[in-house]
Amino acid sequence: MYQETYDDEEFVGNIDVVADSYANADEIEDAGDIDDEELLLQAQAGVQSIPEQVRTFLGYLHRNLQSGKVNDLTYNYEMQFPRLSEKYYAKASWPEPQYVAALVNDDGLFLILYRELYYRHIYSRLHPSLEIRFRSFENYCDLFNHILNSDGPTDLELPNQWLWDIVDEFIYQFQSFCTHRSRLNKRSEEEIALLKENSQVWSTYSVLNVLYSLIQKSNITEQLRAQQQGGDAAQVAGEFGGRLLYKMLGYFSIVGLVRVHCMLGDYTLALQTLENVELGNSRALYTRVMACHVSVYYYVGFAYLMMGRYADATQAFVHILTFVSRTKQYHQRQQVDAASKKAEQMYALLAIAVSLSPVRVDENIHAYLREKYADQQHRIQRGGEDALDVISELYLFACPKFITPNPPNYEAEVVEPQAYQLRTFLREARLQLVVPTLRSFLKLYTTMGVDRLSGFLEMEPAELKNQLMVYKQRCRQVKWDGGSDLLSGELVPSTDLDFALEMDMIFIAESRVGRRYADWFIRNANKVQDLVVVLENRQKDTIAGKPKVDAVAA
Amino acid sequence: MSIPSSFVRPTTRPDEIHRLLTDVERYNPSNTVLLEDYLARQCANPDSTSNHDLMANLALLKLYQFNPEMLDHDVIRRILAKALISAIPADFNLCLYLLTDEVCKDASIAKLLALRESLERAQFVKFWRDMYDPEDEEEESVVDGIAGFDNGLRKLILAEITATYQKIPLASVQDMVNLDEEAVLRLAKENGWAVDGPVISLPAKSEVKASVISENVKFEQLTKMLSAANDI
Repeated sequence: MYQETYDDEEFVGNIDVVADSYANADEIEDAGDIDDEELLLQAQAGVQSIPEQVRTFLGYLHRNLQSGKVNDLTYNYEMQFPRLSEKYYAKASWPEPQYVAALVNDDGLFLILYRELYYRHIYSRLHPSLEIRFRSFENYCDLFNHILNSDGPTDLELPNQWLWDIVDEFIYQFQSFCTHRSRLNKRSEEEIALLKENSQVWSTYSVLNVLYSLIQKSNITEQLRAQQQGGDAAQVAGEFGGRLLYKMLGYFSIVGLVRVHCMLGDYTLALQTLENVELGNSRALYTRVMACHVSVYYYVGFAYLMMGRYADATQAFVHILTFVSRTKQYHQRQQVDAASKKAEQMYALLAIAVSLSPVRVDENIHAYLREKYADQQHRIQRGGEDALDVISELYLFACPKFITPNPPNYEAEVVEPQAYQLRTFLREARLQLVVPTLRSFLKLYTTMGVDRLSGFLEMEPAELKNQLMVYKQRCRQVKWDGGSDLLSGELVPSTDLDFALEMDMIFIAESRVGRRYADWFIRNANKVQDLVVVLENRQKDTIAGKPKVDAVAA
Repeated sequence: MSIPSSFVRPTTRPDEIHRLLTDVERYNPSNTVLLEDYLARQCANPDSTSNHDLMANLALLKLYQFNPEMLDHDVIRRILAKALISAIPADFNLCLYLLTDEVCKDASIAKLLALRESLERAQFVKFWRDMYDPEDEEEESVVDGIAGFDNGLRKLILAEITATYQKIPLASVQDMVNLDEEAVLRLAKENGWAVDGPVISLPAKSEVKASVISENVKFEQLTKMLSAANDI
């Protein structure tokens, strides 16, 4: 029904622009030879091949985008789009953007957004070629140019989930490109030439530029700071920041930056970037999109883990894992699926953190951990080379994909940032392993001679003394005290076992946790009180002659 | 005991460096000169409480990561050496994360890594021996150009000794800090340790006794119960 509105010339022009490809494209090789007539026929055929449902969907999407009806857009985006993808395009890509152009009267902005979805679909279901990667980057440039470099703020309004997905996908494609680029042995000669020629595509600086610009344009840091201090965010927001699109994009860019810094190995900067985001606040902006919420905690926990602050890492992971398990039923399936994958990775990291620095964790998490990783945890605590193997395995499963910021030297060896980060982490872990092994022995005694202990551990007394010193050093960690600066913290003892060496005798002191009655009593007392109230109300109802309503089992 | 965090802005950091670190300017390659100068000033300052600015050094390493052609091995060596004697053991690793395998193959940096290994395992005797190895061909020590390195290091070692030991033989202390008997006795007097013949007694620590962590009930937890009790 939209066909009668398209204009011949405009349409053909559009095809040319899109078909303008890089050296490698085999698709429209004889672009000069095919005449306009044929192109038109091709285009018509293409438009015809779009199923009716998809056409209506695209129509609705276009209308809602233009009128700015965010709620309808949310329905289109979160419900219809995945359903249609599953139904029609499970193994193929969505219709080519040039055919869709006909349906929407060449609305440039719509086409940019459509292309973003189109490429995202290809990345997730199919294998993107180098050509696709380049084009997708160009599309992102168009999108961000429109948002950042127009004269005034754009009128566009999009649901938060979509905005988060744009930023998330942008960074994902960047990381995918870097990994792709560095696998030199799989790249053909012409691909390498292409890569060398177009080194500005997906360059680290461009990506960082986009993220920083979004943050700056929206004044999001000032807004957050004002909010924290109890002031009015709207005053500092400025022309762009006052609009929800910019504000949310700025906010999501902060989280995006954290991710990029972790991928580059700069953990301190990652945590510093979150300086105005309150991590404990349950009404913080990141809670609006579940994937964002999970992402924040994953990267925070991972950064802490790499910094050797195992207690803080454990705290972050436990927090988000309890959240995910409790709110599973309130979210849609695909959001839950994505969150579950990250959750699995976090369980692996948590297993590492807890084995290296034993602390008490919440009952449910502890149970799940024991069920899944009991074997690994035992092997880690026994120490030795085996422990390191287990840690490596868990780590490689759960770590983010690291990247190098520069294009590789195409003639030289392949550089694997993953392996390097793992090795550096293992040096720390190797020393930290002293804690669980020594702890298991020291727990059994109140005093012990150095000779006896060295006999148990089969090492020289002098070496043992050194290890005891290492233990002492390792059992103190910096712990975050809940302030706004994630990097700050106090040095606190992180284990419950303490000792002192007098000449050759070790005096051991263990602090135990006393029995906790209060929580149990309070909980049950409240339960009984609720039950009494229900019964009293029931009684009142019967006296008043009201029909009995089945009470829900207390 | 709280040690000043490496991440809070140190009082000795000049404004321009601070501005650099908190801004997008930190990615500008021409700023390596500024940060390298700042590092030189840190190295010249022997006072260990004010001469280590981890964030600035990490920013410099990041610039090297993005611009490998500007990489200066000597600068990296000095940053790592400073991180070695920092009060917080994780600092060294944080610097390492921003380097690559290639950089680590450099001779002086590899040596620093090996030294760090011994230091971390509290094998102090081995450490001193390796660091000032008379058979070493290099003319300069790997920690050259850093004022106050030895003292900073000794402070660290002493902290570990005080934490672990209640009584320790004098000879052991000598080996660990690489000083002769007289110097050690002086140190003991400075720190208020009792020297009893060949044995040094360190001040008693308060933490070393079995304690029971008792439960802490917060008032908020009782509000519901109290309000219900009030109604009756």
